[in-house]
Amino acid sequence: MIVDGLVYLGTSHFGYELDASSALARMDGVGTDISLAVPVHPSGGNFSSVNDAVIDAAQHSAGRLIPLARVDPWNGEGAVVELRRAVLAGARGLFLHPSEEHFRANDIRVRPIVECAAELGVPVTVAAGFHLFAEGLQLGYAAEWTPDNAFVLTNGGQFNISGLGQFDAELALLNPNVHVQTSGIYREDFLERVVATFGPERLIFATAAPMFEMSYERKRVDLAHFSEAERQLILGGNSARIFGIEKEGWQS
Amino acid sequence: MIIDMHMHIEEVPSLGWKMSADDCIRAMDAAGVDRAAVMTLTDLPGLNPTGLELIADACASHPDRLYGFIRLNPAYLHLSKDLLRQATTDLGFKGLKLHPVSTLQHPGAPPTIELVRLAGELGVPTLFHCGDEPMTTPLSIAQTAAACPDSIIILGHMGGYFHVDEALEVAEKHANIVLETSAMPYPEKIRTAVERIGAERVIFGSDGPVSSPSLERQKVVIADLGETSAALVMGGNAEVLLGLAA
Repeated sequence: MIVDGLVYLGTSHFGYELDASSALARMDGVGTDISLAVPVHPSGGNFSSVNDAVIDAAQHSAGRLIPLARVDPWNGEGAVVELRRAVLAGARGLFLHPSEEHFRANDIRVRPIVECAAELGVPVTVAAGFHLFAEGLQLGYAAEWTPDNAFVLTNGGQFNISGLGQFDAELALLNPNVHVQTSGIYREDFLERVVATFGPERLIFATAAPMFEMSYERKRVDLAHFSEAERQLILGGNSARIFGIEKEGWQS
Repeated sequence: MIIDMHMHIEEVPSLGWKMSADDCIRAMDAAGVDRAAVMTLTDLPGLNPTGLELIADACASHPDRLYGFIRLNPAYLHLSKDLLRQATTDLGFKGLKLHPVSTLQHPGAPPTIELVRLAGELGVPTLFHCGDEPMTTPLSIAQTAAACPDSIIILGHMGGYFHVDEALEVAEKHANIVLETSAMPYPEKIRTAVERIGAERVIFGSDGPVSSPSLERQKVVIADLGETSAALVMGGNAEVLLGLAA
């Protein structure tokens, strides 16, 4: 079973868009069975609306879209309330985007939301690598708040076209609950080093579509030098385990 | 002919870096790449005093496969100019590489402009690291392009993750700018580049061997450029830049 750890659904305030039917068609095109789906940043800031839209899309996807709830920490207690509501409605995890919602990943305002996710028993996924908002060490700091809850970092926990973010991402991975996704990471040696150093259970295939192109993102995993057992974990086993995804014939 | 215009060879034990010419050749063979431009990860003068010899020896050991670019620090202007002349005139190097993060030299500052002008006079292109960091963005390097109209300036990574649209804009404005595809994660931007500035000014690179030439090549395949444009991007343009064209 191939699980894409991140796709964005909806029309973003920031101009990109992907609807559920297009996402499913693209998934079919690249052989992806299931995707973790998160809402885009809504124009007007109504996160309940976009959470409901993604939950509804998931409910009509025959199990192929797994919804995560997106909240804005600047809403204070309202963000916690929204997370509880969305999880009750079917969301299977928390998604935070520090760059698009303009908060620092380890800001104290974030902590009650992350702690609420742990209390609810749902993993946390964070859009990672954005300078000032979601740097590797900031994310490692936030992951320490709930050490027993899975903390998933998109984009390998970093963005830098010289690989200068790798060092801090690897320090974040010293937290056993931190996992990193493959999206956008051009350094094959980093992806392979994560597996060699921290284990194949810590690396998760994700495309972050439509930010990145699905077929090309898949090739990052297909062309890297992993064993078949490692590749199966990266391409689906790890997401299945972390998010409790079960499918006939698949043991999470 | 497939030519990778951006690969690295380096040996700096204190940094834990060891990428050999053979590592590059293995990655090239796995990807079906015929030839590559190779350069160090450190600048001269600097951490690896043997950088010039390292690249020269690699190219001599793999004739017709590896072509040297000398990576220099414009802050040491007179020495860098001497090294550039030596490398191109005596050792057959084919280009200059500049990385403003490691040198702390702004692309629009006089030392960089003087060095890039010399590269143009010597008939070799200058490959800049062009990403998201201060001093490496397309608008920064456009200062050099404007000041050195007779020098060919290659934007390595064509703007990185977040500055690709700016790379396209400055390439439209300055005819001496060439865009290089390595690491930048958006296949469709390669197609956009070909449409907006022409296939003659877009070149394939991988930033290997630590990134995968096989993967980077797939990015151009996904861009779906058509046979003629793809042939130029994947090697035809590089043949001209490296002085290999008949």
